[in-house]
Amino acid sequence: MNKRSNLTKTMNPFEYFLINFAVPILITIIVIIAIPLSGLSWEFLIRELVIRLSRDSFLILALLIPIIAGMGMNFAIPLGAMAGQIGIIFITDWGIVGMPGLFLAVLISTPIAILLGYFAGIVLNRAKGREMVTGFMLAFFMNGIYQLVVLYGMGSVIPMKNSSILLSRGYGIRNAINLLGIRQVLDNLIAIDIGGILVPIATLLTIALVCLFIIFFRKTKLGQDIRSVGQDNEIARSLGINVEITRILSVSISTILACYGQIIFLQNIGSLATYNCHDFVGVFAVAALLVGGASVRKATISNVFIGVILFHTMFVVSPRAGKELLGQAQLGEYFRVFISYGVIAFSLALYAWRKRVEKENERKKTMAAKRSIVVNND
Amino acid sequence: MKRTLIRISIIIILIFLGIFLYTIGKEHKVLIDNIDVTVNDTYYISDTNYNVWVNNQEIGLLEKGKRKVAMVVGKNHKIIVQEIKNNELIGEKYEKMFNLKSNENATINLPAMINSADIWIKKQADI
Repeated sequence: MNKRSNLTKTMNPFEYFLINFAVPILITIIVIIAIPLSGLSWEFLIRELVIRLSRDSFLILALLIPIIAGMGMNFAIPLGAMAGQIGIIFITDWGIVGMPGLFLAVLISTPIAILLGYFAGIVLNRAKGREMVTGFMLAFFMNGIYQLVVLYGMGSVIPMKNSSILLSRGYGIRNAINLLGIRQVLDNLIAIDIGGILVPIATLLTIALVCLFIIFFRKTKLGQDIRSVGQDNEIARSLGINVEITRILSVSISTILACYGQIIFLQNIGSLATYNCHDFVGVFAVAALLVGGASVRKATISNVFIGVILFHTMFVVSPRAGKELLGQAQLGEYFRVFISYGVIAFSLALYAWRKRVEKENERKKTMAAKRSIVVNND
Repeated sequence: MKRTLIRISIIIILIFLGIFLYTIGKEHKVLIDNIDVTVNDTYYISDTNYNVWVNNQEIGLLEKGKRKVAMVVGKNHKIIVQEIKNNELIGEKYEKMFNLKSNENATINLPAMINSADIWIKKQADI
């Protein structure tokens, strides 16, 4: 199979590089301009990057498997994030702290994530070709159900012991919950001080394990089935692969990984914004992956880490750069959201353009081949 | 049949794992009182200050008539108490072990504990 598509076969390598890596190149330029403008020290930047790398990489790794399955970017990962948050709420209510608390949150939230992933898989199977926008809407829908359960169900239908996390009316969880009991327990489990920067080795090892799992998973039968489904549904079906079940499994795995990613994220932050913590999980994770050079059809582990570094460097420097440039730090906040959505829109538009050009080139080739057959016959 | 049995076993193991994590991770509130108390018609007086450690973590100085709170995690715990005078630790160390069930908090009375009273710790169910 040719590595380069029809579009890029005729291009020179420089053009090929520019088109394929347009988004990371653009973000790199923005970051290079913004870093000196922000006036932040390298030590501060590196410290922030290390924290964000350990905090956010797991969530972005959760996006890889649906891409391999040909389902595009999984905008439904907030479902996994919500499952993780429910686990965290329960362990906080019961007063379970430390690593046992973290593991118990994982244990409680896993069946919820499996259920939500299964549900998401069924819905996305009915929206073949439109998985990304369906996933986006699914996240909004599930957000409503989550808020119903957490705001009205907990403390009334679902008994809660700890009144400090309940609203004053006696039911419903507070807007913000302190997670002091599990704050940075994984980060501090094994931490090394390197030049004044605390590196959370345990968290990074966990992320490395997930990377190894993804590499190993690709080589298993299920991983190969997922790849075949991603390349062509009909050919996979003719090979005896149950396409629908494979797609459901890929979304379920992604949802479970997102659930664990959100738990790791929350233990680093140390507090839970109950009703809006999961809002931008999907958008920021997808944007970061696209910034790392991934596309709707192809994403690798290196895209995840390049994306986290570039995207979060931009996150860190843009408020200060915005303040230096235009006198308003708040501009940086809007700039982040603008870049996130902009990157996604740009990548999707670029992908659609490439597909259209490739189709056109294929059509021209077929026409040329038919003409040459007619001429030869004459 | 074999597959079903394996799945049921995994679920049972996970349930036990959950119970184990709950027990070892549960946080309890231990109130430590240095106040006068009557136990079984015997009156114990709080007449000095003590330094307190719980599970080898220093809780600090507990003056007579005062109370301090220690948060402990898990089932089995140790409390060590030593008299403190003019910022100096004097006298012998008193050590006691106690355990708490998952739904229990405790109140320890230092004069009763030091004098080896029958009831030096009161356990209350978590409401």
